[in-house]
Amino acid sequence: MAELEFPNYFLIDLPPEARLDPGMLREALRQIKRNRRQYIHEMSTDDVVKVIARLANNWCDDLFPFRKFTLEEGPKNMGFSLETLRKGLDQFFGRITEESLHNLLSQEFGDSQRLDRPASIPEERLENRMAMAVGPELIGHITAGNLPCPTLMCMIHGLLIGSAQFVKCAQGAGFLPRLFAHSIYEAHNKFGACLELAEWEGGEAHLEDQLFAEANCITAVGRNETLSAIRKRLPEETHFLSHGHRVSFGFISKDMMTRAIASEQATLAADDVAAWDQHGCLSPHVFYIQAEGIVGGEQFAQMLADALDQKERNEPRGNLPASTAANISELRSVHEMRAANTGDIRLWQSEDSTAWTVVFDHEQGFTTSCLNRFVYVREVADLDEVLRTAEMVRNQISTVGLAATKLDASDLVHQLAHWGVTRVCPIGKMQNPPLTWRHDGRPALGNYVRWTDWEM
Amino acid sequence: MDTHFRNIIARIFEYIRGEGGSFDGLAKELFALQYERVEPYRRLCDLRHITPKDSRTIPAIPTNAFQEFEITSLPPDDRPNVFHSSGTTSSEPSRHYHNAESLALYEESLSHWFNQHLQPKQRMLALTPPPIQAPHSSLAYMLQSVQFSEPCFTGKAKNDAWIVDIDETLQFLRENRTPITLAGTAFSFVHLCDGIEPLKLPSGSSVMETGGYKGRSRELSKTQLHALITSKLGVPPENIVCEYGMCELSSQAYDTRAGQGGTRRFRFPHWARTRIVSPEDGSEVPLGATGVLEVIDLANVRSVLAVRSCDLAVRHEDGFELLGRTPLTESRGCSLNLA
Repeated sequence: MAELEFPNYFLIDLPPEARLDPGMLREALRQIKRNRRQYIHEMSTDDVVKVIARLANNWCDDLFPFRKFTLEEGPKNMGFSLETLRKGLDQFFGRITEESLHNLLSQEFGDSQRLDRPASIPEERLENRMAMAVGPELIGHITAGNLPCPTLMCMIHGLLIGSAQFVKCAQGAGFLPRLFAHSIYEAHNKFGACLELAEWEGGEAHLEDQLFAEANCITAVGRNETLSAIRKRLPEETHFLSHGHRVSFGFISKDMMTRAIASEQATLAADDVAAWDQHGCLSPHVFYIQAEGIVGGEQFAQMLADALDQKERNEPRGNLPASTAANISELRSVHEMRAANTGDIRLWQSEDSTAWTVVFDHEQGFTTSCLNRFVYVREVADLDEVLRTAEMVRNQISTVGLAATKLDASDLVHQLAHWGVTRVCPIGKMQNPPLTWRHDGRPALGNYVRWTDWEM
Repeated sequence: MDTHFRNIIARIFEYIRGEGGSFDGLAKELFALQYERVEPYRRLCDLRHITPKDSRTIPAIPTNAFQEFEITSLPPDDRPNVFHSSGTTSSEPSRHYHNAESLALYEESLSHWFNQHLQPKQRMLALTPPPIQAPHSSLAYMLQSVQFSEPCFTGKAKNDAWIVDIDETLQFLRENRTPITLAGTAFSFVHLCDGIEPLKLPSGSSVMETGGYKGRSRELSKTQLHALITSKLGVPPENIVCEYGMCELSSQAYDTRAGQGGTRRFRFPHWARTRIVSPEDGSEVPLGATGVLEVIDLANVRSVLAVRSCDLAVRHEDGFELLGRTPLTESRGCSLNLA
């Protein structure tokens, strides 16, 4: 087992028997605000980018103690297999480089210096204007328990825009955020001094009230009811960035359904299903196959099953609690009975485990999967049919994995955009958005900041 | 007439009464008969390439199959009784069909095991509606059948929901000063206890509670519910017996005998065997581990004897501990709660 000593630096480091009280929390929040004024304020964006890029690079290095510890202790703490976790970390941190961070800043602000001083883009210069952007003094992140990456991304965003940050982890979901926070502290203790984390069960109103009173921006991920409950409790002037749960699907047009391309797409689709064991909003629940290609939906389902089987050998799914596994086996049994009796449904499943399941059926519309590598394949006439029959999840779709010819793709994206989809990407990349991704179709950093325009 | 079934029903009767026969032999024979006569079950076995001739195990049919398919060997014109699963979900209920012969076996099965855990000679006060108001409730049917004398039913069926008539219940209790057996669902006990001032049932009275809450009352843990029953009705914990049953089965499990006390463990009778299986590979879990409860119930003669429940249970040497239903939605992942 890796030896890693954590200094008692964050509230989340307190022993479980120590109870966090509102007074302690308030003082901690005020302290990180003071630290921000003292330390972060004076740092240039370039310096911040360098620190983050170096840290991300370290997280890709097998000898980096925090990564080592994550890989050794993560599987039992987070429920993912070692291989899934390793791949997830590589993909997440691999895309964070100085270049990509600068790209992100440029995309969001037109000029990556705008957080440091007034600067201008050509259009502004024509009008003799400049502008600068200022991040919130304190951001409170209310994070969801399903996946660690969105939480880490929020923390990186907060660092980039120079805010003090408090991360409220869902109960039992603080493992990786905590390690990441300590790695930030080690990389740059002044950054660490502007960061605080704690873990508590949702609904601890007396603690949340402190956070809501001190923070001027709250981000939250969760179910719609949770989000609207939070919104109601926030002071009028507090900026609220909410992300409801989203689901995703794949679509493959008939021109891509030649034997060779279909098989390749099935392998890529298996990557998307396996990534983080399908737990993220970006994970596909259904793959729609346009009919009348050389390879049909049922054959594609078979190919996807083969690919998931192969995947299981190299990148096994994590162990599940009995209740979750029972849920999968119960759903399988529903489909198995239908397969045996109605004949218009086929089921492929891992033997002697619930590791993966593919269902090919003739149901219409969208079905939410029970996750953990359980996926539906359906044949459709065209994308119109998908959108018509998936009306129930309209505006709740995050990502569409798309395989279509270049000629068709632009029209399909146009159609998807108008229907409410906020991200389209190649199949195989669904769980791996670029750093510049606009989460839920909103600016990645632009959403946090306040602008000051200067007319000279 | 169906001599095959008649013949095996007669031998299962004997087996229940301890008059001979072997569990494995009867189970194998019944499996063969059901494979032949229950079409959706045969198709499931065929899909799994299992036939009674060469199989050592009897495939369990999931309880949800009773919702979508007619899991019965009875022809449509010979199904005078049908029991439905309760529940408040919008999905179809499970349906378990019976005729006169299968009902007779059902009654034999439930009385035999009930008699060993509660007191059939006591007058029963049932918090469920009477069978005439709840004709598809296997629980109401059971309570009607197990006692020597006619029970007093104080539950009412109102638009599919069950409520307890508190006034009628109190009136019965005022008029009846001998020990009674008070039976009902967990939520009906909450309704009753929330609606009355503390009182004391005659000493020696017992309680049989069963089933979950299904959103029909505030939900309490088993310990809290029993404490509430003790404080409101004056029945000591050792006289509270939990029953586990479902419409898809014809036998029940009890977790203690009235008055016995000690560790509670659910046990089915000798004609119904349980397996707690791993949801991953279907193998029996080791002692102390959690798995899905499967029951092979010889009294399930006209449906399918091997049933896989939706309940998680912990396997113990002397029975099982019920953890309850497997959740139907995934909570850890990013998923939508679609209505």
